Amino acid sequence: MAVLRAENLHKTFRSRGRVVQAVSGVSLRVERGEVLAFLGPNGAGKTTTIKMVAGLVRPDRGLVRIEERDPHRDPWTLRRLGAVLEGNRNVYWRLTPLENLEYFGVLRGLTAGAARRRGELLLRRFDLDHKKNALTQQLSRGMQQKLAIAVSLVHEPALLLLDEPTLGLDVEAAETVKQIVRELAAEGQAIVLTTHHLDVAQQLSDRVAIIREGRIVAKDRTKTLLARFSGEQYEIEVAAELDEPRRRRVAGLGAEVADGHVVYVGDPEGLWQVLEVLRPLPILRVEKDRADLTEVFLKLVREEADA
Amino acid sequence: MLRVIAIEFKRGLLNLRRYPLEMVGQLVVITLIFYGLFLGARYIAGPAAQFGGRLDALVVGYVLWTLSLFAIGDLSWGLMNEAREGTLEQVFLSPYGPARVYLARNAASLLIMLGFNLVILFVLLFLTGAHLHFAGAAVWPLAAALLGAYGVGFMLGALALYFKRIQAFLNLFQFVMMFLVMTPFERLEGLGRLAGMLLPITPGAGMLRGLLARGEPFDMHLFALALANGLVYLLVGLWVFTYAVRLTKERGLLGGY
Repeated sequence: MAVLRAENLHKTFRSRGRVVQAVSGVSLRVERGEVLAFLGPNGAGKTTTIKMVAGLVRPDRGLVRIEERDPHRDPWTLRRLGAVLEGNRNVYWRLTPLENLEYFGVLRGLTAGAARRRGELLLRRFDLDHKKNALTQQLSRGMQQKLAIAVSLVHEPALLLLDEPTLGLDVEAAETVKQIVRELAAEGQAIVLTTHHLDVAQQLSDRVAIIREGRIVAKDRTKTLLARFSGEQYEIEVAAELDEPRRRRVAGLGAEVADGHVVYVGDPEGLWQVLEVLRPLPILRVEKDRADLTEVFLKLVREEADA
Repeated sequence: MLRVIAIEFKRGLLNLRRYPLEMVGQLVVITLIFYGLFLGARYIAGPAAQFGGRLDALVVGYVLWTLSLFAIGDLSWGLMNEAREGTLEQVFLSPYGPARVYLARNAASLLIMLGFNLVILFVLLFLTGAHLHFAGAAVWPLAAALLGAYGVGFMLGALALYFKRIQAFLNLFQFVMMFLVMTPFERLEGLGRLAGMLLPITPGAGMLRGLLARGEPFDMHLFALALANGLVYLLVGLWVFTYAVRLTKERGLLGGY
């Protein structure tokens, strides 16, 4: 059973006489222990989709199921969902971290005692226990974000929605949040992550969905998508100078030699032939050119724009 | 649901404690007003002066006036603040649903406000040696009037949720409240009397005037009417609020300000 199943979501907004198709036919699926990076340029429909999943925006068409329950019809489905929403404080700045955890724990259906115990546990885990009695407004931005994530987990949801969790964080705080996401996924948490930090998405996600102008333009496993956009180029670093006969034979196979590097563009079969020519020279490194998510993202988004 | 009221009560108290100046300010204002009433300054009670010249009538009238104002505006101010600060959507993620959470929040805030008023009142009674001869029965029409006030509070909350900025409208509504609390509909004939039965807060306020200012006995029928009026307004208020929640979600207006 998928933790999240969103199918064929549509949403139109009317603003000052204009009709804006915010989301059009978006489907997402997330399994237990899986991180789905949901990417797209500003205004592409990410946040609207996330809010439709969270029951905060009602879709015009389509369905949302969290563990096969509908958050728009059955409010107790929200017991299985946690969310950190972008552009929001998400927590009360006048309360301490522990008080926030207790308050939101009860609001999500826990008893006050259970919420406090779980809150203490999360504060220790997120290295915030030394701040548990400080006012939230006095915490650093990174700590506030960690607290917002802790609060979203207080009721042990099956699905976690993280909308721009590293936005505005310094490098260290962003690394901590990334580590938390990794650990949660390893423990079986299903996570939908939206971010403009594509390196973060690449490092954390098992699968990627890219949305543009309300439509999904790519959806695949992260590795598969990267491989699809990676070139057939290999770079071989050799520890010694190549003699002239080897240079000629390597060139004959279509490879180029420059600054101690042999660059070969072709299929893996050809690569083995190049390596055979280089034998027995000591090889320091063989590396396949790999696209990163930023390249894939820009390519897809621009391709769609040109289409 | 009780646990939600309890946690809202705790949150309310913590908020008061976090900003002691705000709390001290409230305490000072309430103390001064009660003290003024004790010294015979009837004008200080504002619309409560309609409840008769006796001290107990003034005090009950004043409590009705302040609590009604609080009941009507508290939810809307809270929603506007939460929309601005970015905690509104987290509250809406509660499986209890926003209507129940805000009902619990209202109940908790009312308890805190009531506690504030009663503590100050008893301290002043102790310090001044004054005596109040409360007609215990006055509590019932007061409660019925407050139910209606909370009903109107939910209707205004619906507007606050949808439009987000209704500060000017809320300030204007104080005059509507003054009209509802002060007008002696129960003394009018014909349409005026009918309006007194149908408008929010008015049957409870009218019954209080009868009990305290005119020394009338507790009328069970009148109370049944006041209670029914209060309950109907509360239920209608909750329905309107729930409808506004649905509309706000449909139009994607929940998070904006």
